Amino acid sequence: MQRFEGQVQLVLYPFALNPTSEVATQAAWCAGEQGKFWEFHHMLYRRQELWNSLAAPLERLVDFAKDLNLDTAALKSCVESGRMRDRMQADKAYGQQLQVSSTPTLFINDNPDNRVVGTRSEGELVRLIRQELNRVRPQGQ
Amino acid sequence: MAKKSKARAQTLSPRQQSPRKSLTPRRWRLKLVIGGVVLAVALGVGGLVRFLQQRDLAPHLQGVGDKHYTQGTAGAAVVIKEFSDYT
Repeated sequence: MQRFEGQVQLVLYPFALNPTSEVATQAAWCAGEQGKFWEFHHMLYRRQELWNSLAAPLERLVDFAKDLNLDTAALKSCVESGRMRDRMQADKAYGQQLQVSSTPTLFINDNPDNRVVGTRSEGELVRLIRQELNRVRPQGQ
Repeated sequence: MAKKSKARAQTLSPRQQSPRKSLTPRRWRLKLVIGGVVLAVALGVGGLVRFLQQRDLAPHLQGVGDKHYTQGTAGAAVVIKEFSDYT
């Protein structure tokens, strides 16, 4: 992203594939209410093996939230209230409309032909972004 | 008599064979035409299905964007929508 500063925007659609991931998604959005969505998001990936096999990961995620100086009681009550559930379901439904069946799936500039499924190397993503930049902003313009 | 009939058979056979010879390529031509039509229809249906799917996808893709966390510059030339799962 830094390499393409000012030229690229990433819009994240958490697409929970199982109940454990649903809890994590809601926790991330609840962390977002406290202004720390991205910090929590990155932490979920960094510590993935510590929570992703748990059937009920909320307590563990709340523990992690302490490290980010989040209000853990507020985070826990936010997740338990289920007020992020609709939002999560809406994103899931949106992904299903777009025939997203595995993650990660990327769409570049709303072009269904520019669908990138599966993990790609940084080099390949850079190439795809450059290709799209050249398409939308031909050289010399 | 036998000689006569043999001679007749010899003179008749080219006449009888000639329509058969012309039927074979005609049959092949017919098969080729039918095959071509079937292929064209299949390609057309496939293309139509793909077109309809994509026409359907594009408006869906353009519709949503609010209430989502983003990184990078708003209004950038390249917008990437990422669907990802935490597990």
